[in-house]
Amino acid sequence: MIFSLMFFDITYWMYLIVAVLYLGFWLSRNKWLGQAATVFTFIALFANFMFLVSRTVESGHAPFSNLYESMVFFTFALVAGYLFMEFKYKMKVVGAFVMPLAFLALVVTSLLPFRYQSVEPLNPALQSIWLEIHVFSTFLGYAGFALSFGLSIMYLLKSRKGASESGGGPIGIFPKSSVLDELAYKTIAWGFPFLTVGIITGGVWANYAWGTYWSWDPKETWSLITWFIYAAYLHARVTRGWRGKKAAYLSISGFIAMAFLYWGVAFVLPGLHAYA
Amino acid sequence: MGIFSKVVLKVWKFFTLLRVTIVLLISLALVSVLGTVVEQGKSAQEYISVYGEKVYYWLTVIGITDMYHTWWFTTLLSLLALNIIICTIDRFPSKWRSVSHQKTDVSLRFIDNLSNHGAIEGVKARPAEVKEKVINILKKNRYKYEVSDRGEEITVMAYKGKWARFGSDVAHVSLIIILLGSIFGGIWGFKDFQPIYVGETRAIPNTDFKIKVNKFWIDYYDSGQIKQFNSDLSVIENGKEMLRKTIYVNEPLYYKGVRFYQSSYGLAWGKVKKAQFVLVDKETKKQIGAPIFINWNEKIKVAGADDYEVKLVGFVSDFAFDEKNKVVYTNSSEHDNPAVRIELYKNGKLISKPWLFLNFPGLFPVMDDASKSDLILTNYQPIQYTGLQIGKDPGVNVVWFGSIFLGIGFILAFFMFYKRLWINIKSCSDTVDIHIGGMINKNRIIFEREFNALVDKFRDGLIE
Repeated sequence: MIFSLMFFDITYWMYLIVAVLYLGFWLSRNKWLGQAATVFTFIALFANFMFLVSRTVESGHAPFSNLYESMVFFTFALVAGYLFMEFKYKMKVVGAFVMPLAFLALVVTSLLPFRYQSVEPLNPALQSIWLEIHVFSTFLGYAGFALSFGLSIMYLLKSRKGASESGGGPIGIFPKSSVLDELAYKTIAWGFPFLTVGIITGGVWANYAWGTYWSWDPKETWSLITWFIYAAYLHARVTRGWRGKKAAYLSISGFIAMAFLYWGVAFVLPGLHAYA
Repeated sequence: MGIFSKVVLKVWKFFTLLRVTIVLLISLALVSVLGTVVEQGKSAQEYISVYGEKVYYWLTVIGITDMYHTWWFTTLLSLLALNIIICTIDRFPSKWRSVSHQKTDVSLRFIDNLSNHGAIEGVKARPAEVKEKVINILKKNRYKYEVSDRGEEITVMAYKGKWARFGSDVAHVSLIIILLGSIFGGIWGFKDFQPIYVGETRAIPNTDFKIKVNKFWIDYYDSGQIKQFNSDLSVIENGKEMLRKTIYVNEPLYYKGVRFYQSSYGLAWGKVKKAQFVLVDKETKKQIGAPIFINWNEKIKVAGADDYEVKLVGFVSDFAFDEKNKVVYTNSSEHDNPAVRIELYKNGKLISKPWLFLNFPGLFPVMDDASKSDLILTNYQPIQYTGLQIGKDPGVNVVWFGSIFLGIGFILAFFMFYKRLWINIKSCSDTVDIHIGGMINKNRIIFEREFNALVDKFRDGLIE
């Protein structure tokens, strides 16, 4: 019996339940649904954590060695980050835009070819302490960007013409658009330094393994593209004429670039970074 | 003002605009995509087979086949660098002034107009007492402060985290340092790749030493998957072994600023250790005597055909012939069509230098017509090589220094905040009114709560 696969399934279904609960809370404003959503999120996060633990025990290395393992780490960071935000800012409705993302992430993970699921020893290139540091910090960054993506979508919905600042309708329950904008910034201000550390530690590692810290490999280049977009976002937010909607669109483009950096490069573009 | 300085001023003004930064960043992001869609640095043949000759022509004209080194991509990067430098220089002095010379003596209107403000009115105490209490609370909350005392009206300016203001400057300077490091590496460094045969000593270009490969081996997991590639290397300088180290992936050898990385391995395509031949009867095709083994570059007598001697002089792993230049070469590093070349001597005189094919024994007779027997290649023992990536990069430490500095800048910019408070203490007949205003450079939501909590602390401290 491979425990990690069992925990994967539990996490998978739990995130579906949680996503439905948060969506239900958003549309019905039922307080109990909201409470249940938070409680179930904790359980789901624990199952997610148990996947990471059991996988580490089974494989003998950190669960960062391929797309399958890293995706489950991604959802863990995303949901943990979300819960932190929910408690700090007391906003449940954001869950309706984050939890479906976590569930969707596991749906695509479950569609990966079976060979990704099997426990493999590390190949020579991955045997380095930099694996842990590089992947860990990169994925904290990814989690921040995914949160900001959900928040930016909410911001765009909220700041549409005709959408009321408060009151009725599904949009009415959203936090103020200025709060959404600020939180989207906060999550990017979290993700951006971690992505940067991820890129730099990747360079340090590449310098050890391949003899060059930067070779314009597709993975490296796409990480830089994502970095450029979020750098543009950070500058847009303090530039007249670029604040608000334009900045939100930049945040969404950044997330799309990140998704391609993560998945597209692995499947579409050939390169050195052939693990995930 | 001369025309020249007018132009310089205009250019300077242009590059101080953040809009320019945003446009440059987005352009770099968009353009960079191109170089990932079209594979970089492939051979002309490969491009033509994918895109056709016409498209390939245009790709090379624009430079997309080696995009990140084209003049226009470098120009875009340089413009961004210029933008960073000018913005930093342009903003720094006024920023420094605003932080080092805080305005303490602000008006009541200024405080009440701040986005975070509160008031505590009718405190029964004298202004000087209130001031002491306020300062105590500020100290407890680790604020630094300055006081402007005019007796009846006292203004306290408190602040913390002023270095957070310079986080973005530190980060921007770091980016320039990293860029400079990469330029140093490009100018004074070099990159090379050398496949070196096991047992061979190879002089390394651009250095004054040699590398000897003592051994190459692969470690396997119990499951049969590859665990590690290893090469046992010696550094030879002036005929002496200076250093010996086993390198593997993620563990290079370092000597005199040059690093040697385990990069690949395989069987040599231009040399063998030894080859095995048999002599056969031309008529009956039957083997005569025992097989003959010849080492590389060795000359031996052919047993059974005593007039003849054979020397092993050449090898290609995948035989191909260039008709134009009349040379033999190997088509690939695979051992798909191995062939050895021998020198054939008769009575001590060189008579021919034929190629023998392992896959096509006896295709071309080797011996002359006078001989009743012929020589056939039956086997060979290949030599293993280890592929070493070689690199010297004197800029790399500059890059790492810049990276650490960048980290510091990010901590200041993203995780620390510059907070300022102004507290106006004004006596109003026998009571005192206190107005408090606060400002933060970012992270307003969090500050709103912190500010309100602080106002409550003042209230509790003053009306006990």
